[in-house]
Amino acid sequence: MSQREGNKVDLQSYSSASSFSHLEAKIRQTHSLARLLTSYAEQLLQEYVQHQGDPFGLPSFSPPGLPVPGLNSPAPAHSGLPTLERLQLDAAALNSLSPLLDDIRRLQADLNPFARRLLRRLEDASHQSRALGSAVEVVLGALGATPGPPGPHPMLPESPGVFLAKLLGYRVCGLYQEWVICTEGDLGQLLRAGLG
Amino acid sequence: MSLNLPRTLRNLLRLRAPVSFSPGHSLTPAPPLLVPDSPWTCFSPELRGRRMLRAPGGGLRQGAALPTARTMLALALLAFGALRAGSGSYLAVIAPQDPTLLIGSSLHATCSVSVSGSDAPTAEGLYWTLNGRRLAPELSQILNATTLGLALANLNGSKQQSGDNLVCHARDGSILAGSCLYVGLPPEKPVNISCWSKNMKDLTCRWFPGTQGETFLHTNYTLKYKLRWYGQDNTCQEYHTVGPYSCHIPKDLALFTPYEIWVEATNRLGSARSEVVTLDILDVVTTDPPPDVHVSRVGGLEDQLSVHWNSPPALKDFLFQAKYQIRYRVEDSVEWKVVDDVSNQTSCRLAGLKPGTVYFVQVRCNPFGIYGSKKAGIWSEWSHPTAASTPRSERQGSSGACEPRGGEPSSMPVRRELKQFLGWLKKHSYCPNLSFRLYDQWRAWMQKSHKTRNQDEGLLSSGRRSTARGPTWR
Repeated sequence: MSQREGNKVDLQSYSSASSFSHLEAKIRQTHSLARLLTSYAEQLLQEYVQHQGDPFGLPSFSPPGLPVPGLNSPAPAHSGLPTLERLQLDAAALNSLSPLLDDIRRLQADLNPFARRLLRRLEDASHQSRALGSAVEVVLGALGATPGPPGPHPMLPESPGVFLAKLLGYRVCGLYQEWVICTEGDLGQLLRAGLG
Repeated sequence: MSLNLPRTLRNLLRLRAPVSFSPGHSLTPAPPLLVPDSPWTCFSPELRGRRMLRAPGGGLRQGAALPTARTMLALALLAFGALRAGSGSYLAVIAPQDPTLLIGSSLHATCSVSVSGSDAPTAEGLYWTLNGRRLAPELSQILNATTLGLALANLNGSKQQSGDNLVCHARDGSILAGSCLYVGLPPEKPVNISCWSKNMKDLTCRWFPGTQGETFLHTNYTLKYKLRWYGQDNTCQEYHTVGPYSCHIPKDLALFTPYEIWVEATNRLGSARSEVVTLDILDVVTTDPPPDVHVSRVGGLEDQLSVHWNSPPALKDFLFQAKYQIRYRVEDSVEWKVVDDVSNQTSCRLAGLKPGTVYFVQVRCNPFGIYGSKKAGIWSEWSHPTAASTPRSERQGSSGACEPRGGEPSSMPVRRELKQFLGWLKKHSYCPNLSFRLYDQWRAWMQKSHKTRNQDEGLLSSGRRSTARGPTWR
């Protein structure tokens, strides 16, 4: 059983000294990956808005809050949840984002067929989202927590209107950025609180 | 925690998504833009400046719950474009949705708001933007309490290939609906198709999109080919290999029989087909550039360089000859000089060069007479530039004096003229070998004699000149 003080996770209680260092290394590695992906996610969003045309990317841009069922922005109460539950939510969100980013790439391949860098970034983001989600699940497994059940893949409409397609992509890229930042913060907190 | 969808969203099972516009199809107004009654508030403290329309009464929930049904997921997304019930929510629809128009044409559009609630927007508060720029109020017209019209004339070509963003806004600037305009031109007939085969193994073709070029719309180009007298149409698959208007056919090409090749261009406003080009692969063969190009000095001759190269390896496999072409330029110049009478040789001597100067040299190859064909092939690419420098002129390097010394024959003007004459003889192939060898020998003899004379004079102090001056020169 883990000893927790509030949200703190005592990593040392989970394993022997040698495997503890391995666990710590794994958490650090995953945290570093999340940190790297936060910059990639920001670049992806910037690249995305460039190819959609104004008003995307303008400071005054005020898009509606598109719903992506089962996948919303991290809630304000997220930071108050227990560490493991936060990481479970992070992993679930990242895994859900991977096929969504694939769908957005397909839409953009039709809208912007010559935007090769954007299409490559979307493809990379899909892979990276899944990789980070899997890495977080590995950490959860090492901490004795089970990942959440895999949910069905979200589906986008086959032939949405063009403006709607642009907005959907903007929303998904934004969600990807939010959840990567959230994951990076949660892992950082795990390192600080758990090793402190 | 599952998402509790209202009944109207479940009814979306029967709704179709809006269809992208294509030429010849009637326009179908898209379902209205939806701002749903989200159970969460999208919250991201790091990302500022994103305004969200939130239905009154929408509460906060924790976490990101996974959907319970895949179909409900998809249709909940469709809900973005569909009608919804509920108080205090706004929706709007723009018609036409994603139209395609010719440059210079006009557009009449409407933004219709479905009022729901006392604080719903009316047509009076709405405004239009096009690609983020607010449109002048005089272009808009209130058609009724909930519908704002728009009239645009003489449209320019689309700013981006994904379409111009025509957006209907509420008074507070929030987006109610959007539609993307595609304004452009139909494609022109592609022209100037040229093809070449590298070592008879493949075929690469290049073309131009027509005189006007820019259609402002995404235009798809398809290169097709077939054997002239039989066979089905084939479509090239590997595009943009040597530029945006090119395609590469890597294999399965027949020889000794003509192909018909053409390009089809298609965009939202129509299509066009190029003229058919007929060719035999053997008539458009090229090779890699000649390898191993070396440039070196010719002894101490200050105005010549010797160029050597190897024939392309592919030539060994085929029964054809090759002719070569050399070009060279001074290092800090952009003007190339071409030597194009280099037949089936793999070496050449450049003459008439400037002393003490760096030259860049390139060589290319043209295979001809392939399997007895009388046609010339296609020139290869130029080899990578090879640099070399001519020797510095000794006269320049010594004292800088260019005048002849006392006692010497006044040979400067005569020598210059002789040099020019011999260079002319060589160029026009009047006894090139004979005069060239003699010229070299004479030049070498002149330089040696000049050096020797300088050494002799250096040994004598002033006033002590004697008859012991060494060899005399005539």
